[in-house]
Amino acid sequence: MASGQESAGMTLMDLITSDPSAAATSSSSTAAPSTLGKPVITEKKSKRATLMQIQNDTISAAKAFNPIKSYPQKQKKKPVSYAQLVRSIHELAATSDQKSSQRQLVHHVFPKLAVYNSVDPSVAPSLLMLHQQCEDRTVLRYIYYYLARILSDSGAQGLSPGGGIPTPNWDALADIDAVGGVTRADVIPRIVEQLTAEALNADIEVHARRLAALKALTAASASNSEILGKLYEIVFGILEKVADTKGKRRKGVFSKGGDKESIIWNNLQYAALSALRRLPLDPGNPVFLHRAVQGVSFADPVAVRHALAVISDLAARDPYSVAMALGKQALPGGALQDVLHLHDVLARVSLARLCHTLSRAPALNERPDITSQYSSLLYQLLLDPSDRVCFEAILCVLGKFDNTERTEERAAGWIRLTREILKLPEAPSVSSKGSQPKDALPPKPSSEKPASKVRRPQPLIKLVMRRLESSFRSFSRPVLHAAARVVQEMGKSRAAAYALGVRDIDEGSQLHAYAENIEFLDSDPHDGSQSEAIRKASLLSNRAGRLDTIAGLLASLMEVVRMTVACECVYVRGMVIKALIWMQNPHESFEELKSIIACELSDPAWPSALLNDILLTLHARFKATPDMAVTLLEIARIFATKVPGKIDADVLQLLWKTCLVGAGPDGKHTALEAVTIVLDLPPPQPESTSGLTSVDSVSAVDPKSALALQRLVQAAVWFLGENANYAASEYAWESATPPGTALMMLDVDKMVAAASSRNPTLSGALTRLQRCAFSGSWEVRIIAVQALITMAVRSGEPYRLQIYEFLHALALGGVQSQFSEMQLSNGEDQGASGTGLGSLISPMLKVLDEMYRAQDDLIRDMRNHDNNKQEWTDEELKKLYETHEKLLDLVLLFCYVPRAKYLPLGPTSAKLIEIYGSRHNISASAGLNDPAVATGISDLVYESKETPKGAETIDPDLAMAWVTGLEDSAWGSNVPAMEKVNEFLTGAGTDAPDVEEENITSRPSVTYEDMWAKTILETYEAEEDDARSSGTSSPESTGSVESSISSHFGGMSYPSLFSSRPSGYGVSQQLEQRSATTSSRLGNTSFGGPSSTSEGLGSPIREEPPSYSTSVLQRFESFENPLAGRDAQTFGSQDDADGSENPQFGKALYDFTAGGDDELSLIAGDEVEIDYEVDGWYHVRKKRPGRDGKMAGLVPVLYVSSS
Amino acid sequence: MILAVLFANNDGNILIERFHGVPAEERLHWRSFLVKLGADNLKGAKNEELFVASHKSVYIVYTVLGDVCIYVVGKDEYDELALAEVIFVITSTVKDVCGKPPTERLFLDKYGKICLCLDEIVWTGMLENSDKDRIRKVIRLRPPTEA
Repeated sequence: MASGQESAGMTLMDLITSDPSAAATSSSSTAAPSTLGKPVITEKKSKRATLMQIQNDTISAAKAFNPIKSYPQKQKKKPVSYAQLVRSIHELAATSDQKSSQRQLVHHVFPKLAVYNSVDPSVAPSLLMLHQQCEDRTVLRYIYYYLARILSDSGAQGLSPGGGIPTPNWDALADIDAVGGVTRADVIPRIVEQLTAEALNADIEVHARRLAALKALTAASASNSEILGKLYEIVFGILEKVADTKGKRRKGVFSKGGDKESIIWNNLQYAALSALRRLPLDPGNPVFLHRAVQGVSFADPVAVRHALAVISDLAARDPYSVAMALGKQALPGGALQDVLHLHDVLARVSLARLCHTLSRAPALNERPDITSQYSSLLYQLLLDPSDRVCFEAILCVLGKFDNTERTEERAAGWIRLTREILKLPEAPSVSSKGSQPKDALPPKPSSEKPASKVRRPQPLIKLVMRRLESSFRSFSRPVLHAAARVVQEMGKSRAAAYALGVRDIDEGSQLHAYAENIEFLDSDPHDGSQSEAIRKASLLSNRAGRLDTIAGLLASLMEVVRMTVACECVYVRGMVIKALIWMQNPHESFEELKSIIACELSDPAWPSALLNDILLTLHARFKATPDMAVTLLEIARIFATKVPGKIDADVLQLLWKTCLVGAGPDGKHTALEAVTIVLDLPPPQPESTSGLTSVDSVSAVDPKSALALQRLVQAAVWFLGENANYAASEYAWESATPPGTALMMLDVDKMVAAASSRNPTLSGALTRLQRCAFSGSWEVRIIAVQALITMAVRSGEPYRLQIYEFLHALALGGVQSQFSEMQLSNGEDQGASGTGLGSLISPMLKVLDEMYRAQDDLIRDMRNHDNNKQEWTDEELKKLYETHEKLLDLVLLFCYVPRAKYLPLGPTSAKLIEIYGSRHNISASAGLNDPAVATGISDLVYESKETPKGAETIDPDLAMAWVTGLEDSAWGSNVPAMEKVNEFLTGAGTDAPDVEEENITSRPSVTYEDMWAKTILETYEAEEDDARSSGTSSPESTGSVESSISSHFGGMSYPSLFSSRPSGYGVSQQLEQRSATTSSRLGNTSFGGPSSTSEGLGSPIREEPPSYSTSVLQRFESFENPLAGRDAQTFGSQDDADGSENPQFGKALYDFTAGGDDELSLIAGDEVEIDYEVDGWYHVRKKRPGRDGKMAGLVPVLYVSSS
Repeated sequence: MILAVLFANNDGNILIERFHGVPAEERLHWRSFLVKLGADNLKGAKNEELFVASHKSVYIVYTVLGDVCIYVVGKDEYDELALAEVIFVITSTVKDVCGKPPTERLFLDKYGKICLCLDEIVWTGMLENSDKDRIRKVIRLRPPTEA
């Protein structure tokens, strides 16, 4: 806070007190010096004052504290400190009977004290004294203000909900006797007691003070049950006296000439209901409900508003009893009907919500009479003059209440909107003749009475459309924004209706608006492709052209919506685009939408958070209508090309991924194609990026966005590598091609031909990746090679061979191979020539070589055995199995494959491996390294085959076994990269990998597609763009988006089909915590020396930690690369699996006093757990809360010794 | 829920703020977000011209009044339109207290009174009194309705 206030070098206190005019007024109050001017004796400044001064310095509230203070007198420019103000209160309280001191309080002390967000408890006695003795209303009003502040102070860091200059933690200060040893605990009971007594005082003369006291009491935090108990008592006590008034009067009528007693009653009713609203709901309590329902008929509009809010909250919990308690109120002439004409917008909003809840409550299914009353009331609210109320009613009709409603409800909402008819009650119960604009709330007082305007029944859809259209002509940005939001919700409901296949909504059918009754012409159902023609046909009107169809109404609405894109406020435009996306139908042409978005994105004003939000809208839209995958991907592509610097590659990938999964077997190919369009963009050239703007509308005009585009391309390449196998449904372990066949297709042309005829999707992806590996920028090529490797491992023949050939050529340096001799003479690694990728490729080629060699060996052995009619001996099988395991381990270094299914030796080895496995009770998932197998125990177990469900094993010896296994044989020569891998595996690397505890299980019954699809679909539920849970999150949570862009490089963190982890959009904390490790890794990869090679190769192993630890994720942890678990072993125990999660402990070396909200006070010797470090600060967590109640916060690094 | 009401001067110094239901660690983000929003958009804006923004399901309505920028943040039932109502009450009350669209000096001179008014308008995250006369009465500790 101070940062904000000091940006101009002045604190708020400086500003307030420094002005000459203020000083002039203060010196003009001549009496002031008599009490204050007497210099507060500086010499006698106590320890207390000293500490107070220190504290004041700490909080930097008043920077220039002047100890020789003579407050209002000469030193006009000197700001006053908190301590001075408090001292003045103490002194003035003692002389509160004097006019001058009262004036002093009202004009100087209290207003300035208001700058602080709370006052310390030691002031309370003086305030209470003033409260009792002072008569001056203004002084008293301030007293209530400050008492409420003390009550609402939550105790931690002096942070009351109110805000203001932060004050220290008074209780902590009291302990060091800085504030006279008075804590909140000392004064609060006294305050509460005094206020309670006042609130119970039935004396009519002081009833204004009674109201104020009651209000101050409601400021107390809801956790204090003692105060709550007292409040209940007071509120119900008041309501018992005043609620049962028989002389019910119309709202707004009372203002003039009501008798005194009833006015006082009205005031008390208002105060009581206002307090009731602040009390926690008490759903089971009939008295609570009864009083709230009575409140609906009160005369005070604010009281009615609070009553309705309480009731509508209660109705969400217990609709039946609320409906019963409301009884006849909803009928014409009842109190709820009166609310329709109440000049309080929020009251009517609450009414809409109440009506919606009650009319849809399953508990009231038996009582159609009741529900219809409430629906009719709700429909009447559609005519409300206030946009706020009308829109709320529309949203309620559409089935949008909070964000928890299901698709069925939304679909029902669309049906309701298109079908239902508003019939107004015959006689409007209240003529609103007497209603004065008591409340200034409605923005534009309705000139005509809505009820009188529309008398005949009207289809809801027409009302709504007309209303929305007129709202879109408004000049007010909030109205435009809200209207666009309503249209968006309409689109959602419509999409839900389509998704559920509600076929009988026929948008082409006609709406007949006859005077008396309405019927829908049920024309033949037709799909939208015909609707255009039919709409035109149906527009042949039978009533002077006033015949409308839903489609016609929608079309004209959308026309207006599209015009709104011209609004200069980006947030309004953003909402409009979201609305357009939602209203887009799968079978309609989306050219217009595309061009609108393309135009819009050229505007540099768009903030990146908003753009990412729109991308997430695309995501949500896709989930509602999977048919739109291609359309949406096309739109997403516009984002990628137009504003590459502003959108988060993760969000884009999320969309790609969801589309790929959701598109179904047929759509996969198209979805993948749409993703790869990004790859076909011309690469931005560093020198002349501006020339590119013309080509396919890539706008990468500045280096930053050129870089971002580059990253997007990388992301796309990575995505392709990870997901091509999924999209093509081609897996080595499901491939039918025997390994021998591949060897017969060594002729490249034949091979490619065979490949593309067998699986066009995969070979298409291959071709693109190959092109990228050749022609992309160096960063892209690295990723392309990694992607190719992944595909080589995962695909069966002939693709593997095809990639092998390609990589081989690449490793040799392609065209430059003729210079290889020269390079050899230079002593350089031959593989590094030409493409610069040799060091990346050669380990992979070695593994593939190993695999092919082993396959050859196997075939030869099998042939030998067959020829000799020889059984395989156990020894031979063991050897075979060991080779299998070894290769499997190697392959897993590169990318994830299912251990239980993957057969590096080819499909023919399956049987032999299985024989050996069953003979020795080796579980497929754990392999030889299973401790039971290693120690031979498994041989002793007989009926084992079934691995116990819980044995989601990652065996402890795995890591070491791996490392040794690798060193022994697999890699032959000592590739430098290998050392790096080993280092990494043993945990010696600088960057402790972020891994989760692994559960590796074999789940043979579930196919990968199923599991993967399930994971993604469930995981991303949380990311709904309008997730209510994230409602309070600060704008900076999107900050992580930016930070993650920079930290996501090299594909390590890109989501993969085989990782169940979302790479956290909007998950700021974790990302921030880890960005350090990630970036160090980045450095390695991008330098690309030999040492980085295996880093890159191993990259899929180390993905970002899961952003959501949902149970789904936990369950699917088995998707993680097993390798990840292995290196965890080097840390010793399973529990500490995640290296970076390893808690780091430390000890406070010195006392540290928190200087801000986010800091944490420490006492020397405190044991802390260090979460992460940022800019010279540790974020630490204490074992138990300190005096200020805080557990975690920032402390300077130097104050903590980390162990 | 009205999450925040914030007054700032043209330089982005925060004059008054009232948060409700916003964790302490998020307040800083909100402050800087709102001040930046104002700095980007409020240049040359007319008095009481309403601006809107949204962040996830949180709505922001802001405006300028004299030398003072006013921001209101809300969610749920306090959507952009309800916030427009709230900000209307706030601006009209501030004008009432100051007698005109306030200069920064005037605003600070009336600081205490504005704080009192604000407490009557937004109390525990909800709109309370919306009527100018009523607010004027209540801050003088008179009953909201008088005979």
